[in-house]
Amino acid sequence: MTDERDPRVSQRYRELGREEPPGELDAGILAASRRAAKTRLAPLVPPTGRRHWYFPAAAAAIITLAVAVTLHMERQQLDPEFSGLRPEPPEAKKEPLAAAPPQESPAKPSAPREFARQPDGGSLNSQAAKPAEPLAMPQHSSQAADTIEQGSSAGARRESRARADQSSQPQAVPREAPSGAPARLLGRIAKAQSPEAALERIAELRRQGKHDEADKALAEFRRRYPDYRIAAQMLKKVERP
Amino acid sequence: MEAPDEQLMLAYRDGNAGAFETLYLRHRERVFRFVLRGVKSRATAEELFQEIWMRVIEARERYAPQARFTTWLYTIAHHRMVDHWRRGGLSLVELDEQDPPGDSPDPARQLEAREALARFAQALEALPVAQREAFLLHEEAGLSIAEIAAATGSNAEAAKSRLRYAVAKLKAAVEDD
Repeated sequence: MTDERDPRVSQRYRELGREEPPGELDAGILAASRRAAKTRLAPLVPPTGRRHWYFPAAAAAIITLAVAVTLHMERQQLDPEFSGLRPEPPEAKKEPLAAAPPQESPAKPSAPREFARQPDGGSLNSQAAKPAEPLAMPQHSSQAADTIEQGSSAGARRESRARADQSSQPQAVPREAPSGAPARLLGRIAKAQSPEAALERIAELRRQGKHDEADKALAEFRRRYPDYRIAAQMLKKVERP
Repeated sequence: MEAPDEQLMLAYRDGNAGAFETLYLRHRERVFRFVLRGVKSRATAEELFQEIWMRVIEARERYAPQARFTTWLYTIAHHRMVDHWRRGGLSLVELDEQDPPGDSPDPARQLEAREALARFAQALEALPVAQREAFLLHEEAGLSIAEIAAATGSNAEAAKSRLRYAVAKLKAAVEDD
């Protein structure tokens, strides 16, 4: 260590005085130090002894929670996307082509839910969470729905409702009931829980190369949802290439 | 044998309030004078002094004995002083009202000694801030060149140069007496 001190300078500096802090200041600082000492800090070293299981247990809990949350989020994101592509229940496949859609079971609610969904609004999750509910139908396109429903052997209550709808709209011209594959296709669209799901079905037909069916389904879709604006990305999938 | 500063600080970090008291009583005067001779008024010095020790208390959990405790302590003090200097005042405390050293009954000698001390105080006050701080850290806190460099965030060459300049100017003031 290099000592740069000069004895005379040091002596003169010492002569300047030996000032001390006031006693009140000492008391205040020491009181603050005692208060702080009572506040023990969290240990920065791993726990030892009987608590050595803390870290493994905490790690396991965190990993379990992370996996559960991830799976839950994935399920919530995928359900709306693929709800329209779910395979039909086995009992529905066994029924003839003109059979009633599966949702038209006796457990079906007495009155179908009114379509109140905006094309780009609403919660997909909320709809996906109700898979057993009947197709949400736009009120202004109920004729098309009725046409489809006429092509199937709907229950008596459904028929009576359809007749009531027709009587309430006497100027409406009933459409021809589709048959065969288009009927099945349109039945699927009718079973679709949302416009997005119906579009997914149409896109699936395109991918399978069933362009004629896809064209008909798309036309039916546009009749059903005349106000629905199809996103550009989806439009590429559903329109004939 | 007295416990080293570093050990006391670690004990305080672990909750031993008595260790801090020992540490404080060991350093309080030097820190106070270091601050007092670097600022304008005693009130400001007391305020800064309190702030320095409160910082020490707050920073106890981050303390690691990588260097001497004194270096760490005066690094905190340096930062507080820099904050103060940035806000304004740069002069030393007034010494006019202090009693002159010695107990000489001769009024003429008393006056001479008083004047010599005033000249020294003026010379100290006239030093550039960095030189004065280097001198005070060396003379009051007992820090080495390397420790001064560490506490002030400079390099050893700069610290040594500042200290040499400071001592040379103060020596000239002493020799004028």
